[in-house]
Amino acid sequence: MTDLVDSMLDLMRRLPPTRVEENVSALVNICPDYADDLLGSVDQPLKLKTDRATGREYLACDYNRDGESYRSPWSNEYDPPLDDGTVPTPKLRQLEIKANEAFDTYREMYFEGGVSSVFLWDLDDGGFAGVVLFKKSLNPSTASEPSGSWDSIHVFEAAERGRQAHYKLTSTIMLELGIKSSGDISLSGSMTRQTEQDCPVQNQESHITNMGRMIEEMEIKMRNLLQEVYFGKTRDVVYDLRSIESLERQRRQRELQKELVGFMKR
Amino acid sequence: MDSSERVQAAARFLLQSPPGEINDVLNDVRNIISDDDSLQEGVLPALQEYNLAQFIIADVPGSEHQSIISEAAKIEGQEGGEDRFLDPRSKISFRFDHLSLEASDAQPVEPDSEAEPFRAALESSTLSYLNSHFNEGVASVFATPGSSSKFTIQIVANKYNPTNFWSGRWRSEYVVDLAQKVISGRILVNVHYYEQGNVQLETKQNLTIPLPPAITPSNPSTSASKLLALIEEEEGKYQTHLSDSYQEMSDKTFKSLRRALPLTRQKIEWDRVLGYKLGAELSGSKGVFAES
Repeated sequence: MTDLVDSMLDLMRRLPPTRVEENVSALVNICPDYADDLLGSVDQPLKLKTDRATGREYLACDYNRDGESYRSPWSNEYDPPLDDGTVPTPKLRQLEIKANEAFDTYREMYFEGGVSSVFLWDLDDGGFAGVVLFKKSLNPSTASEPSGSWDSIHVFEAAERGRQAHYKLTSTIMLELGIKSSGDISLSGSMTRQTEQDCPVQNQESHITNMGRMIEEMEIKMRNLLQEVYFGKTRDVVYDLRSIESLERQRRQRELQKELVGFMKR
Repeated sequence: MDSSERVQAAARFLLQSPPGEINDVLNDVRNIISDDDSLQEGVLPALQEYNLAQFIIADVPGSEHQSIISEAAKIEGQEGGEDRFLDPRSKISFRFDHLSLEASDAQPVEPDSEAEPFRAALESSTLSYLNSHFNEGVASVFATPGSSSKFTIQIVANKYNPTNFWSGRWRSEYVVDLAQKVISGRILVNVHYYEQGNVQLETKQNLTIPLPPAITPSNPSTSASKLLALIEEEEGKYQTHLSDSYQEMSDKTFKSLRRALPLTRQKIEWDRVLGYKLGAELSGSKGVFAES
């Protein structure tokens, strides 16, 4: 028997991305014992929350969740409030604050809007891990205009080895595009890629510049990939199914060409 | 969740299967539910619903062609007997196994003599249209029981390429009503791309095409070819519209979600990003980590 979690992940790779939340919750109900495995491995659209203390928006996902509460990267507070909610050690929280500022600058430069959040946590082996999140949505002003949303989830682990650090990065981008006018068109889904890299570390902040470069590289690569798959591959399949041009005419032309070649050879 | 709720959840998963992947979804679901006995019985209605809605194709027993399994093809079983499916082209009905997708037990069916000439003409025009625009298409044309002026044209084209992690399905259906002088149609396209990801295209378009007066039941073959010319035009227009929508989503929506590079046309200088922030903080009188 194949591993149950593998079957769940395979299923989620096949079912419509627009219904990921509904399907994940159904799976959790069927196999409650595997809820953590599933929620930890299936990326779902990021939720927008507002920090009560600062009024600033942040992103919620499984990585800043404790029970039913979510931690804000701006105030470090849980909402709904938790007395014993998990928070990073003071040293790591300092790095988290700086990382949030740096990636907020990145967000403004690439997304020109949207929301970003960075969450860090300590690992048992002395290193740390984190997640860098971006979300931007476009709501059409008219019915014929497309709507769209982009969610980036970059999960990384950092392990210091002397003056070097080893980084593992897993990036998922969820992209939803759609038009609802005379008919519905929905083009949506997610793609995931991984990479590893060693980088020099001078001080704590080196982690931000190192991760920044890695994430920037990755997003540039993945944006190209998404462009190719969304607007190239899926469109090609439609044209593979049905041809706008008459195939009969194409067949006749090929026949004619063959005849001509045969004629010229004589 | 009790056993019947689990089976219901399983049925909902099956109904969402992408083109050509129902067996993969079924295998996953079997593993997840791990109760084959109740699953086997419980998911059969879902499989049937899926097959009918998705225009699954059947190899017609005793003939070289394929026909479409759909609501229009269904012949209700009498007195609780099982449903059979009609292939109007070879004028036979058959049993269809919704799990193995095998057709068997062919029996001849006498067509409605009044409707048959027009249906046959529509079928022949549909097949030549199919041949000129679809690479691997299957079409069936049904008369409506008890009517000689209403016909249903169904078209399906599938491409499954699991080796390269993609699949696609084009479905279209046209109900031709000669009395009301109108064609009501719909086109549905699904594409799944799943190499290190899961990207799906799903489109739905309803169409209404008024029939010109020249189309009448009395001249089947000219009317049928005119009808298919109208459908050809509408499907061509739709495909062009889809293409334009792709262009718009790529040129406008995608670009305004995220830029390829910042306005400076250069990648970010990360040392400076940190430097700027630190500089700004130090010049303020607040502590280093104060909220900006």
